[in-house]
Amino acid sequence: MAIIERPAVATPAVVTPQQTLGAVKRPVATKGWREWLFTVDHKKIGIMYGVVAMVFFLVGGVEALLIRLQLAAPNGHILSADKYNQMFTMHATTMVFLFAMPMAGAFANYFLPLQIGARDVAFPRINALSLWLLVVGGIVLNASWFLGGAADGGWFMYAPNSGPIFSPSHGVDFWVLGLQIAGIASLLGSINLIVTVLNMRAPGMSLMKMPVFTWMILVVQFLLVFSLPVITVALVLLMLQRSYGATFFDVSQGADPLLWQHLFWIFGHPEVYVLILPAFGIISEVLPTFARKPLFGYPFVVFSGASIGLVGFGVWAHHMFASGLGPVSVAVFSIATMAIAIPTGVKIFNWLLTMWGGKIWYTSAMKFAIGLVVLFTIGGLSGVTHSVAPSDTQQTDTYYIVAHFHYVLFGGMVFGLFSGFYYWWPKVFGKMLDEKLGSWNFWLMVIGMNMTFGPMHILGLQGQPRRMYQWTEARAGEGFFNLGFWNLVASIGSFVLAVGILFFLINVVKTARNGKQAPVDPWDARTLEWLTTNPPKPHNFDRIPVVHHLDEFFHRKYDEDPATHTMRKVAEGEDLVRAEEAAADAHIHLPSPSYWPLVLSIGVGTLGMGIIYGIPLMVVGAAVTLFAAYGWVLEPSVAEDIDFEPSDTDGHTKEIAPLG
Amino acid sequence: MSHTPQPQTTENAMDTVSHVKNSRRRIAATLAGVAGTIALAGCAQNAPQDTWVPKGDNAQKIDTLQKIVFPIAGIVGVLVLALAAYIFIKFRDKGQAIPAQSHGKPTVEIILTIVPALILTVVGVFTFRTIMDLAKTEDTQMVINVTGQQWWWEYDYPVQTEQGISQPIITSGQLVLPVGTNVLLRETSRDVIHSYWIPALNGKKDAVPGRIHLLRLQADKPGIYAGQCTEFCGLSHANMRMEAIALSKEDFAKWVANQQKAYTSPAEGTKAKEGETVFINQCSRCHQVNGLKDANGKAIISAPDENVYAGAAPNLSHLMSRNTFAGAMFDLVNQKCRDDVWNASSDAFGAKYLTGVTTDCLNEKNLRAWLRNAPAMKPMYSDPTKLAKTGGKYRGMPNLGLSEDDIDKVVAYLSTLK
Amino acid sequence: MFTPGSKYFLGLTGLALVSAVLYTFLVNPSDLGAYALFGLFLNAAVVAGFSFFTRDGDADTVEEAIAANTEASAPSFWPIVFALGGALVLLGLATNEVVFVIGLGVFAGGAIEWAIQNWADRASADSSFNSFVRHRAVGALDYPGLAAVALGVIAYLFSRIMLTVSKEQAPIIFIIAAAIVLTVGVLIGSKPEMRGKTSLIVVAGVLVLAIAGVSSGISGERHELAVVSEENPYAVANRECGAEASAHYDHIANNKVPLKSAVLATIFVKEGKISAQMVGLKKDVDTITIPRSNATSILFRNLDKEEHRLVANLGEVKVGSTDVMEKVGTCTQLTGKDQEQVLTVSIPKPSFANGPYSLTVPGIDGEIKVVVP
Repeated sequence: MAIIERPAVATPAVVTPQQTLGAVKRPVATKGWREWLFTVDHKKIGIMYGVVAMVFFLVGGVEALLIRLQLAAPNGHILSADKYNQMFTMHATTMVFLFAMPMAGAFANYFLPLQIGARDVAFPRINALSLWLLVVGGIVLNASWFLGGAADGGWFMYAPNSGPIFSPSHGVDFWVLGLQIAGIASLLGSINLIVTVLNMRAPGMSLMKMPVFTWMILVVQFLLVFSLPVITVALVLLMLQRSYGATFFDVSQGADPLLWQHLFWIFGHPEVYVLILPAFGIISEVLPTFARKPLFGYPFVVFSGASIGLVGFGVWAHHMFASGLGPVSVAVFSIATMAIAIPTGVKIFNWLLTMWGGKIWYTSAMKFAIGLVVLFTIGGLSGVTHSVAPSDTQQTDTYYIVAHFHYVLFGGMVFGLFSGFYYWWPKVFGKMLDEKLGSWNFWLMVIGMNMTFGPMHILGLQGQPRRMYQWTEARAGEGFFNLGFWNLVASIGSFVLAVGILFFLINVVKTARNGKQAPVDPWDARTLEWLTTNPPKPHNFDRIPVVHHLDEFFHRKYDEDPATHTMRKVAEGEDLVRAEEAAADAHIHLPSPSYWPLVLSIGVGTLGMGIIYGIPLMVVGAAVTLFAAYGWVLEPSVAEDIDFEPSDTDGHTKEIAPLG
Repeated sequence: MSHTPQPQTTENAMDTVSHVKNSRRRIAATLAGVAGTIALAGCAQNAPQDTWVPKGDNAQKIDTLQKIVFPIAGIVGVLVLALAAYIFIKFRDKGQAIPAQSHGKPTVEIILTIVPALILTVVGVFTFRTIMDLAKTEDTQMVINVTGQQWWWEYDYPVQTEQGISQPIITSGQLVLPVGTNVLLRETSRDVIHSYWIPALNGKKDAVPGRIHLLRLQADKPGIYAGQCTEFCGLSHANMRMEAIALSKEDFAKWVANQQKAYTSPAEGTKAKEGETVFINQCSRCHQVNGLKDANGKAIISAPDENVYAGAAPNLSHLMSRNTFAGAMFDLVNQKCRDDVWNASSDAFGAKYLTGVTTDCLNEKNLRAWLRNAPAMKPMYSDPTKLAKTGGKYRGMPNLGLSEDDIDKVVAYLSTLK
Repeated sequence: MFTPGSKYFLGLTGLALVSAVLYTFLVNPSDLGAYALFGLFLNAAVVAGFSFFTRDGDADTVEEAIAANTEASAPSFWPIVFALGGALVLLGLATNEVVFVIGLGVFAGGAIEWAIQNWADRASADSSFNSFVRHRAVGALDYPGLAAVALGVIAYLFSRIMLTVSKEQAPIIFIIAAAIVLTVGVLIGSKPEMRGKTSLIVVAGVLVLAIAGVSSGISGERHELAVVSEENPYAVANRECGAEASAHYDHIANNKVPLKSAVLATIFVKEGKISAQMVGLKKDVDTITIPRSNATSILFRNLDKEEHRLVANLGEVKVGSTDVMEKVGTCTQLTGKDQEQVLTVSIPKPSFANGPYSLTVPGIDGEIKVVVP
């Protein structure tokens, strides 16, 4: 709920609006489960995003381990063909939509307002709605496991294989509906964050003084706003085809199945950047902090991020080089894809040059950030090899591609997110994650990741296709290092990787129980989110900071000696925070909690299930949704007392925007 | 595959990171050595679907391109990671002062943008040329229609008198083509999207229902080249394989002649003759055998469209001229005969292949198990509860419930289909 | 918190839900009764929600009660809407289902709006505040509702226009339309003084759309979409597939826009001769091979001045269980000079079964043989 300012008006004398508008009061609990379920605080929502994403990370991880177990030996029979198809479909769907995007959402929700010196996001209730819709979407998706089998068409769900005839179970229906609900969540979230960044930056923070993490999140939100409608259209078409007998992808009715591929990849390729750019943003914060130097070429990093996003909309067909597009389209998309390597390369060089001449402090956060730089470079280069379309026709749909995108997404994105965990954990929870366990976590993940996905380069180049529930020795070649050997190595590697992640969970538990209390500024950090306590107060900043520099926090601590041009410390972070506390703002308004985002999400989820299970359930869902919409508009603006603040001395009142 | 730069860089990545921790060059050097050895020796030998062993003109073009692109990627990777390793060691915290807060140098940025752009332009030019080369169709000498369905491929050779094909040939499992001939596959599909891929002969091309996609194939030498469907096509995607057989022109003519040979019914009173009756009753509803006649002397025309959703089932006219069945998933020959054909030299290959499946070679175990219960051998949709949406039509082959006696007879009959 | 009215309706909601669920599981889920009970549940829930949120429409403090009685109600047009709805319902019952449904909507909408206005009028003594309260209560219903109706109308009008204009004109018209929308949008965005006129511009746009849509609707759909063969699409005997102009032709002959890039073969008529080219082969052939049981598209291109159509002759079959043989096949519509059409066939039986199959053009000698192996 944005706090808006407007000239004072004569307040109606007779009644107070809160009494008139409805019998429902806003929840006021500040303790226990209610505090979390009904919160609209961006920090609590951010933490819940993180927890949800982590749960799904583990679910997706178990699916991955089952896949690797099945493929460890030829003719694996741990999973049936049907179960295996469901497993790889759900592994990808879970990791992309229920882990990677929400985890980036967790970081964005928590740190974006803090980094721009705001007290909350622009629309706090919508923020809560995004979270709960995501949870509902995730539940709908995974409920399919217990209701007749999950989706079995691959996360790309190519038509016509996803149609009712070729996938007769309800799995794809759950998938379609779950993704539509999660899609609403992402769309609402992205609009919310765009408005927040554009309107709620602290005074003095021009766009080019924004931290890079915030910049990358902004780019990602624009990508989502433009790409999610496309996948929504595709999902609606598929839903109509499956549930209501439409024929959008039915060849005998004159359809062209390639339509789905175009729609999917126009969304799907920007989606790749939606996944990776937040991680780029995180390490663009971590690297300068631990190299003690500002980011090399800040405007180049920002603009390369934006141009990756922009060009990302023009390369979708490189997922379709074997689909039969015709040589001219293939050539154009091939060249465009190569072009996207250039801004990506710029980023890598900028990160390296940030560290050049620095004073590198190898904490766990820094190790993960470096891990990203190295592993992403490898993934990026293997990406260049299949931007070459003829070469790609040999590699696409083989394990070479699996290797490539796991280097990019696991080595890139996941390492970036883990870097963020170690870097910001003290900020969020006020305790330091254990560095020694962090080291174990990092090295096991590096070894496990390279053992799992490294051999897949060989597997793919030697002809092992993806998405096969069994591989056969007849096609595995001879010699000690045959494909069987590398499949086994990859499977062992996946368990090393799992142990590495287990170390992170152990670290979290250990830290929660007896972790070291975090100082205010444990890393000698650079950006605004550290100009407050650990964890931050509900209102974030006691006084809205005024920004003069990129890396404002650093420049409040350090000063350049005009004689020697060396940096000298002029203030401790702790003193700066204490000074802010002393000069706290009066009249800080915070939005009150609300029941309705949660109720509305449940209504939407029920409505979705109704599409599968028939009209009666739809009616119930529609009723709950309508009811919740009414609750939403009619609930009073604040929990208690009154809507309108007394006039300020300047003759303006601060009012909570009613529809926030 | 003898040289793959990619795994090498992978190992290097681990090395560079271990540099950081140990900063002991010797260990790193040892690791790099080990990594290099593994990368060189680390590939399977004679992997049938190796993408780095071209056996024909088209695959050769791709291979030439790959041999430009991969080294470039490898060299760039090694340089970047070496730079990274240098930075990680050189600028670690040794107690130096906080560095100057410089915000970057535009010249460096511009150079670092232009250099990759130039490299990619070079790669782009080669790529463009190869794409156009691989899309040519003017030099086609022979056309084969390839139709994918769940989960096998049908090959249909239209009448081409210059290739000696005077009446259409329909086969499945193994694509037979003459060496040194530019063959154009016209791919389509009857149900979902499949993808045709014989790595030794060319890259892959999707077979999309309602569309005709073209794929050039050309084999330099006689031999057998393995492939696999590479577009996820449902339940038994993993079991949809193919084999391309290249025969010398003379051998190809012999093969064509055999395929066009008229049907001869087994002699009366033999087990095979009884098998023919069982086949007519049980199998010919879906499986066509050209020339097969019923008791009244009327030609039997199978109607797979009434029983199978895709509307087709493999034509079994000359089953024993093929080495595989059920979407090239199972061998029709036993292991010894299979090895014999697969390992034959290119000179000896043609004769061995044209021998077909002799009685000694027949892999009865596979064939019997298949006739006993096909869906148990290969996951398919034959469970009536899952066929509501297709109006009861199967996707794949159902369990026919044949008696052991009938199976004996059918095996005897099938082995006469030379 | 719970007023007597809301308690009553909440009770009814619960009862309806329980009976609906019980009925669904114990009696019959697809029965009309289940729908009726769920309908009752929905209605009761909505009413319960209203009375809960509006406290039965009662002002519950003394001051409010006094205030509410001090000012006269604002004039309202909802009673008229309500009455109009009732009239439409009755009219619809007598004439047309569509009118009935629209009437039902108007009736329900009028009733809800009326009730809420009445409640809002009694909220306070301040009429501007009352209108704010009313707005907030109905906003959640009328904005999405009106938006859905508006989108539906716009989509319908657009579809009429698209079905009327020819395929050549359609892209041009829509490029221009899109450009106008974009320009106006940019103008509104960049010139603040335009903003006051936004609603005027939107109304003007909708008016233009409405006029275009209605006139297109009246002038009818473009020729090639107008008539569809009612008979068995493959029985040539029932259709006029000769050289004459006829209303009957393959009803999906021309709607395969995407498939034009991936046809099996192209059949030409040039200087009174028929010729064929297959995809991938740059030479004329006199026989084409079609895989059986596959939806296959054949492109027909007429290069001659006269109008021609392509006919696929797919042999003969028995009519029902009789011995009468009937020719089967399919054809495109008449195609003018330099125009093309796609014919889609799916042939389950091989050509030696009830063939021979061929492609012919009435009025032109020669044929292209079709082999279905």
